[in-house]
Amino acid sequence: MKNRIKFLFIVLFGSSLLFSCMDEVKTTYSFRTMMPVYLEMKDVRAKEISIAPAQEIENPGKIYIYKDYLLINEPNKGIHIFDNKNPVNPINLSFIPIEGNVDLAINSDILYADNYVDLLAFDLSNIRNIRLVNRVKDVFNHLYQHSTGKIITFKDTVLTSDSPAWAFENFWTVRPGMSFLSNMSKASQSYGTGGSMARFTLMDGHLFAVDESTLRVFDVLNPAEPKFLKPIELGWGIETIFPFDQKLFIGSNRGMHIYDASTPSAPTRLAVYEHVLSCDPVVVNEDYAFVTLRSGNFCNNGVNELHVIDIKNPSQPKLIKAYPMLNPHGLGLAENYLYVAEGKHGLKSFKINDVLTIDKNQLEFLQSMKSSDLIPGPKSLIVIGTDGVCQYDYSNPAQLKKLSCIQVSNPIEVS
Amino acid sequence: MKKKLLIFIVLSFCALHSSMAQTKTWMTQLELGLLGGKTKDLWEEKTNERTTLSFSAFHGKEVIRNQILGVYLGMDHYPSVTLIPVGVGWRWFLGKSTGSKFYGSLDLGYGSAVLEKVERTDWSSTWHESGLVFRPAVGIKMPAKKGKWALTASLGYKRQPTYFYEGTHSQPETRPKIPLFRTRELLPEGFSSLNSTSTLYHSLSFQLGILF
Repeated sequence: MKNRIKFLFIVLFGSSLLFSCMDEVKTTYSFRTMMPVYLEMKDVRAKEISIAPAQEIENPGKIYIYKDYLLINEPNKGIHIFDNKNPVNPINLSFIPIEGNVDLAINSDILYADNYVDLLAFDLSNIRNIRLVNRVKDVFNHLYQHSTGKIITFKDTVLTSDSPAWAFENFWTVRPGMSFLSNMSKASQSYGTGGSMARFTLMDGHLFAVDESTLRVFDVLNPAEPKFLKPIELGWGIETIFPFDQKLFIGSNRGMHIYDASTPSAPTRLAVYEHVLSCDPVVVNEDYAFVTLRSGNFCNNGVNELHVIDIKNPSQPKLIKAYPMLNPHGLGLAENYLYVAEGKHGLKSFKINDVLTIDKNQLEFLQSMKSSDLIPGPKSLIVIGTDGVCQYDYSNPAQLKKLSCIQVSNPIEVS
Repeated sequence: MKKKLLIFIVLSFCALHSSMAQTKTWMTQLELGLLGGKTKDLWEEKTNERTTLSFSAFHGKEVIRNQILGVYLGMDHYPSVTLIPVGVGWRWFLGKSTGSKFYGSLDLGYGSAVLEKVERTDWSSTWHESGLVFRPAVGIKMPAKKGKWALTASLGYKRQPTYFYEGTHSQPETRPKIPLFRTRELLPEGFSSLNSTSTLYHSLSFQLGILF
């Protein structure tokens, strides 16, 4: 009996101690952010760029079609080169490692690629022996941090903190989805010659490059000797550039700028179409600009539409019709056919002979092709989506046929 | 998926119960009681008492004389979450075969937050999780004058963690996958930020029950 009383006493005493125990509450905040990384450009330039064997694509950036080749940028890492003679079986040939590279353009066998603040020129005339032939220094100098003379880049990083504040002692962090670099990376994700969101483009012996606020013009009349001519300030929020008929159509998140580039060394502004409040791509033919607006991105305007803008008078662009869409991303124009990547909803093709009845002329809606962008190439329609970089025979726009897919290890997320 | 898993566990539990009913050494204990503890109000810097309800059902078999091993299923209500713990239990009765007996018990299991809704918007998701549950207790068994049932009263300690997550989607209008059992990554795929609040409840547990 004594033991039982002792037992009960211990229990009650132990319990009273427990009752004073406090719940333990801990909150942690984890977030993806762009951490600043500082680099000395002289260190970057000191590294020899030697062509590497073929590598698997991790994350496809800008895609460029040139002759029988397909060039796919790996953002901030370099450029993959594919032999695309047979779109059914593209062959991965080699990789050009270029730090800080997000864009490219090719002019008469000379490949232009950005290397942080420099513009590089590579000779592609022998694809098995690609050579760096020129470096134009300090042209994309918005990457310089002026106080230190170093270049500042950002690395996607996950941070964890006990505090909800997103500002740290020595730097500011930025949500990747809200940073310009993120938009730039998205913008550069998939566009080649004639792509709707290119940031480098060539026209009349000149290379035009846009960053978030500036159009830079290079004279490339002698392709291997690019000369930086001048910067033109455009205003904040520049996203894309599309050349057509001696004009540059520059997409910004406030609207579309139209520049007359008949004197390519000195483009002049014709008009700013400010009725489009979005970060969306543009394609153009002689008479009309086609613009997609979608909800769900940083420049969310809450609408999913295809706008047709009359540009017969480029000084006075005017909206002539807006079509409701599901969630349009990139778009491509090939002759009288328009292809629209509808994100997770699939891919649509339209006949656009009559721009006032595009909705009645939908040719095909492939719901299984989740896609973010597309490029109508000479041999195939290149579609970037959850399956990687895929090519389709689009000789019959009403019936696309899959030819091949280049697998990527980190396929894009299609929302 | 979580619901299917819970249904599977409950069915297994019932199957075990019916198989044990074939033998004479089975035991069932149903308990209802209170969980009490203290929690700090982070905003007002004061301490609040909490007292909430707890229910558990234990089914077991005598594996060694006076020692019962079995499974249990419970429901624990806390101020911000209701959890369903599932696990194994052990009961050790002291004393003679007749009359009141003291006993010690230990329940060890895993909590499920299946009753809590996953809230989704185009931009964010919120969800709850739980973890390992542990309840040592001592009690007294008081047999009924007639019949083979008894009343029980037990006092113990219950340790139970809960986790509440608020995640912002990397891409609006997407529905990133939410981990099935436990969010182990700092930032699961498809999220740009994740606020995680973990609460480890230390409770005094008092339960009354019937045993048959």
